[in-house]
Formats: sequence, C-alpha cells, structure tokens
Amino acid sequence: MNVIADKPEAHWLPSRHRFALSRLIAYAKLRRARAIANNAEHLILPIDRDQTAAEMNGVALWVFFTTVCYIAAVLPLILPAAIVAAIPLAAIALQFPIVGIGPIVRMLLGDGDHIKIISVITMALLVIASSYFAVSSSWPRYVAWFFFAVLVVNGAAALVVWLLRNGIREAEDRCAR
Amino acid sequence: MTRSAWWRRFSVRGVFWRQLLRFAILHVPPWIEPIVMAFWSAFFLLWGPGRRGVMRNLKVIKPGSFGIANFFRCYRVFWNYAWTIADNVRFKELRTIPDWEFAGLDHFQAMQASNGAILLTAHMGSYDLGAHLFSETSTRRIVMVRAPEEDLETREFEEHHGAEGLRIEFNTRATELALDLLETVREGAIVAIQGDRVMGSISTLPATLFGKAATVPAGPFALAMAARVPIYPVFVVRIGRRRYRLVTSRPIEITRSRNRDDDFARAVAQWMTELEDVVRNCWFQWFTFEPYWPEAAS
Repeated sequence: MNVIADKPEAHWLPSRHRFALSRLIAYAKLRRARAIANNAEHLILPIDRDQTAAEMNGVALWVFFTTVCYIAAVLPLILPAAIVAAIPLAAIALQFPIVGIGPIVRMLLGDGDHIKIISVITMALLVIASSYFAVSSSWPRYVAWFFFAVLVVNGAAALVVWLLRNGIREAEDRCAR
Repeated sequence: MTRSAWWRRFSVRGVFWRQLLRFAILHVPPWIEPIVMAFWSAFFLLWGPGRRGVMRNLKVIKPGSFGIANFFRCYRVFWNYAWTIADNVRFKELRTIPDWEFAGLDHFQAMQASNGAILLTAHMGSYDLGAHLFSETSTRRIVMVRAPEEDLETREFEEHHGAEGLRIEFNTRATELALDLLETVREGAIVAIQGDRVMGSISTLPATLFGKAATVPAGPFALAMAARVPIYPVFVVRIGRRRYRLVTSRPIEITRSRNRDDDFARAVAQWMTELEDVVRNCWFQWFTFEPYWPEAAS
C-alpha cells in the first residue's frame, strides 16, 4: 500500500475516495488546497479508496435511512411506531446479504476478500427495492426517487471524473511529490 | 489447558466471535460498516460483566457521574473497541493501514534510536495495530508481551492469524520469560508491554490511579532496572474512522539507589501520571472490561 507522509492536503487525494461524486469533490478540494498547516508532528496517510470517514459514514447513513423507510412502509403499524420498529430491523436487514450470501461466495470462491461481490449484491438489492417503491403510490416513493437521483448524480460525476482523469492524476502526483 | 466444551466457543471470549469478525472484515462493504458496527456494539451491551465493569470504572474516572450517562458512555467504549479490533484484523488480513498521526515524535525517535527500550502502554486504542506498525516500519526488533487468550481455541486462532515479523510472548512463564526479555532488550530490541492492569498471578507494584489504590505489573519496571534501559510510555489513540494518533511521552528513567522500592515508586508514579492523563481524556477507549479498582469491584 502506498503512503504519503507529512502532507495534510493528501487527505483530499481523489484516490482516497470510493465513489465518483466524492472523488470529484475531493479533486476540487485538492486543487484549492495549498500547504495546509500540519498539526501533527508526523503524518502518514495511506492511499486507500475506503479511507475517508465522511464519505463512508455519509453513504452508510443514506443507505440506512433508505432501508428504514422501506421497512417502515411494509410494517403493519402506524407510521411513528413503524419507523421506530424499522430502525433495528433495518440494521439487521442490511446484514442479510453478508451472512446469507457471504458464506455461499466463500464456498464457491474460497477464503479471502469478497467485499466487492457483496458490495455489488447489496447495492443490487437496494436498487431492486427502490425500483419497487419508486413505482408505488406510497410515501417511500420519494425516498426511492431520491435514491435513484443520487445514483444518477454519481453516474454523472463518474463521467466527469473520467473526462478529468489526466488532471486528477497530475494533481495527485503534484501532491505526492 | 483442556479443550473447552463446544458451547464455550460462543462465550464472549470464545473463538466464534474472532471467526465472525474475520468473516466480517472480508465480506462487509465499507459503506455498510458503520451500521454493522453500531449494531454489534449495541449487541455486546448484553454482555453484563463487561458492561458493568466499564460502568464501574467510569464511575471512578468521572466522579459523580450518573448511571444512565455511564451506560451510554459504555456504548461508546464498546463502539471504539469494535472499530479498534476491526482495524487490527483488517491490517492482518488485508494489510490496510489507517492514517497515523504522531505526537511526541522526538521521544518516539529517541526510542527507535536507543539501544534497547521498554515500550509501556495501556489497554487502549490499538496496541496490536501499533505493534504491527512498529514491526513493519522500525529497524529495531520488537517483542510484544501480552496475556494469553483464556480460551484455547481463541488462542490457537490468534496464533494462526497473527501478523508476520512480530514476536509475541505470553506472560505465563514468568521467570523464563524475564530472562529471555532481559537478553532481548540488551541486544537492542524494544519490548512492548501493557502496564495498566494486572492479569493472572504476576508480581505487582502498588500504584495510585485517579486517587485510588491500584496495582500495576512489576515486570516492565524490573526489566528496565535490570537492563538499564528507559521506559517509553506510548499510547495508540483512535481519533476517528481508520485514524490513530501515536502519543509518545517523555521516558521514565529508573535510577538505581540503595532503596529499590523508592526507585520503583518514583517510576510507577510517573507512569500513573501519564496513564491518568490519557485515560481522563480518552476514557472512551480504555478497554478495561473488569472493575479496575478493588473498591469498584465491590
């Protein structure tokens, strides 16, 4: 794993972000970042796509909120009670692809890192659930529309990131130097 | 030690949870991880002895605090513990390292340059991750001393999934180990020991933490005196998701005089000052699940 030492602005390396929208924001921040004061006496920043807390926590909250709404919608309870009940259920439901599909993937592919496969399956399940609610007439359709809006914006960001790929690489090289 | 009954693998220190954690590290997408962490941290609040132990310790660290507030603080301790052990396993399995910040770099560099030293730390942040980082980045050999896992299967699991290049010694064979470590330090290596709590039947020294009587392991102090090397208090503090701060304090020099007890008492007092300072600021990651003070236990 590559690391960058004593460059606080390297926090904004697009390579330290997973999703296109986040990479684009990071690139904008990196371009603006001049030498930021280094508060730590020594700083080691690994270049890993899942390193940024704001991005991962943000996506986790969004996915969780979406799942809570979908579960609350199907519970036979009044809305406030359904939302309260849906909170722990959503936390459990989001782990189903991991405990349900994870062992099968492991059995088929052997022991090792299967995060990418589980990631794709989980997102696919969310897309299926969102498609179902998006065409319904119940209130979670707005949540589902928002879900798809985020996907579309991220897709557009991916296109922009691809177009800017040379500039991003140069900015990263400059920062790493 | 005999092989434990099958159901013991599901006890809180059983091997099942280590296997589950490893499985999670290899299967949970990072963008779901915070939810999974929040859920399992809440689940482990069902572990009564651990929860009560943390809450009793918090009562001493934060005098006058309310039980309900300490319950939520306890959740924060469990939450930090979950992230810490997850980061440790992630490093071992996927070689993913977190962001590192260093405080007290001069002391850290002096330790690296010294011809043998004791690295004294506490059950906080990620002791294992810190030691692994040392073993990967330092030219000095590092030997880690720790209490063995109570459960045989868990111990075997940990030994099987240990990081390469790091020597781990278990503090069960006291005399033999002391001589071994003495030789190791004299050869210029760094010996890392957790010096905040006593586990098992090891020799102790009296101490005072948060104004209450406590005991600390005598081993690191005796070793430093015998090998004539300094003790460096080092704390690995978790400051966020995949972010750690390595805090190295000024070294504790044990000067020999005619009164050995006084020499030890001075060194222990300095260690307790450092420890108290860090625990006061970072109580949410002091991973001591048993009542630390005898009076807290009662």
